[in-house]
Amino acid sequence: MSDIRIIKKRYIFMASVFIGLALLLVLLPERHTLKELKAERLLQEVNDNTRYFTTDDVAEKIIANDAYMQLIDVRTPEDYKNFHLKGAINIPIDSILNKDEDGNYTYEGILNQDLKANVFYSNGTIYSNQVWLLLRRLKYKNNYVMEGGLNKWIETIIKPTKPSATASQKELDRYDFRRAASMYFGGASVTVSAEEDVPAPTPVIKKSASKEEEGGC
Amino acid sequence: MGPLFNANDEWSFVIALVIGIAFGFILESAGFSSSRKLAGVFYGYDFVVLQVFFTAAITAAIGLLFFEYFGWIDLSAIWINKFYVGSAILGGGLMGLGFIIGGFCPGTSACASAIGKIDAMLFLGGFIIGVIIFDLFYPLYKPFYKASSMGASMIYDVLGMNKYVFLLLFVIVAILSFVGTAYIQQRVSKKTKKY
Amino acid sequence: MEDIKIQKPPKKYMNPYLAGVLLGIVILLSFYFTREGLGASGAFKRVVAKVEQTIVPSHLESENSAFHHYVTDGKDPLKNRLVYMIVGVFIGGFISGAINRRLKLKLEHSPKITSKKRAIAALIGGALFGLGSAFGRGCTSGAGLDGMAVLATSGFVVVAMIFGAGYVFAWFFRKLWI
Repeated sequence: MSDIRIIKKRYIFMASVFIGLALLLVLLPERHTLKELKAERLLQEVNDNTRYFTTDDVAEKIIANDAYMQLIDVRTPEDYKNFHLKGAINIPIDSILNKDEDGNYTYEGILNQDLKANVFYSNGTIYSNQVWLLLRRLKYKNNYVMEGGLNKWIETIIKPTKPSATASQKELDRYDFRRAASMYFGGASVTVSAEEDVPAPTPVIKKSASKEEEGGC
Repeated sequence: MGPLFNANDEWSFVIALVIGIAFGFILESAGFSSSRKLAGVFYGYDFVVLQVFFTAAITAAIGLLFFEYFGWIDLSAIWINKFYVGSAILGGGLMGLGFIIGGFCPGTSACASAIGKIDAMLFLGGFIIGVIIFDLFYPLYKPFYKASSMGASMIYDVLGMNKYVFLLLFVIVAILSFVGTAYIQQRVSKKTKKY
Repeated sequence: MEDIKIQKPPKKYMNPYLAGVLLGIVILLSFYFTREGLGASGAFKRVVAKVEQTIVPSHLESENSAFHHYVTDGKDPLKNRLVYMIVGVFIGGFISGAINRRLKLKLEHSPKITSKKRAIAALIGGALFGLGSAFGRGCTSGAGLDGMAVLATSGFVVVAMIFGAGYVFAWFFRKLWI
């Protein structure tokens, strides 16, 4: 009988050790020292192009009023005042790390959250990429960059060029979309293109090799 | 700061072999090489699966968070299985069914095969057949397999909890389940003869 | 815990909680050294991929195979840490079996069923498990145990489903076990 009691005591001891350790984790003050992402990891992410939204993606989401995308203009307030994309907010690159009185980053609430995808843009992609990199280093998630910036936006959405006659159906569809988008954004000339004869499309289906990470088991 | 090697570094192969040996040794020593012992968890006569499984999970989880706290490991760099809602639910269900019929899971059947259990070898054969079937008809359910991904979703984010608080709750639930199952096991083994 | 260790007669199994703590430490070390946890089913999937590579390479290399990413860029599907790990599991299991005098060629089954029935059940159960672990992106260890250790949603869902389904179907297959 006493044997069982000893065993029981040991189990109670074990259980308390586990609960104690877990409780300790809850009670320990938070550590801020390890907040930054390792340089190697950062390099890996820089080379990986998943952070880009194409201008078409962005246009589509603006038109659809997608509430899960937040456009962020990282140019100067003057530039922003002159022209900015619909729904974009302005956080100039030099104020991205501003802190409030308590020493917390002012924009952390916007730049590090789970709900919305932030898409940065500038005229080109240099500033927007710099912002992205800075924030990744702070381990902020859910941030993206508009590929090609506003220059590309004008080139593709506002003034789309007509694809050649032999272009694939996909390209033609994209062109139609861009023209419609252009109209939506009050862009270039509004001439009719629908009745132009379209040669038989030669579909070029390019499949991107999906790189799925391997199952662990 | 860990993780020290990338998963497909050559050193990882050597370490994986050593870890595999420890894994197999522990599974066999705990009795996971017996299908009747494993199946006991579903009939209340032996809860060793649950005991080992959850003790291991809480030990590793506490350890990982302490390692992170001390700055020994970068948890953002370790591999997290992505969560595909439908596929994970179907997969888990099929595995449960396979477990109750076959009496093993892949890891335990491997170490049971090593000590000469013929039923474990058959289970492994069946397992390979199952994998081949999956691959043969893969185009049929590929959309389903890749649908509704939630990415590398963490349970405490889904529940909207602090991770340490979640861990504490997890530990408490695990220990309560140990107490509960010990009680059930006592009652069931009083009623039924030992196998 | 030591009480079990001290008076450990041969053939007695290790205390499950001690085994659990040791296994937890092994998982922790695995993450610390190799970035990933334990896994078993991945190795068998790779064996299947290797066989397909020799017999039907066209299938494996097409998008119609779930394993085509095992061989992209001319990789060898077997050159993977999970394969080394399963070799280790066989060795480790064998060592423990040898130390504890459990090495014996036998087909274990409930006295109420025949060997043949148990053999068929093992085969069918294995096939279902194989399908399940493919859908679940890992088995009890790779998806379940590792997932719970890192507090991933997938781990908890898969474990809940494995045990849930096990209990739901247990009644139908009770004759196989009790």
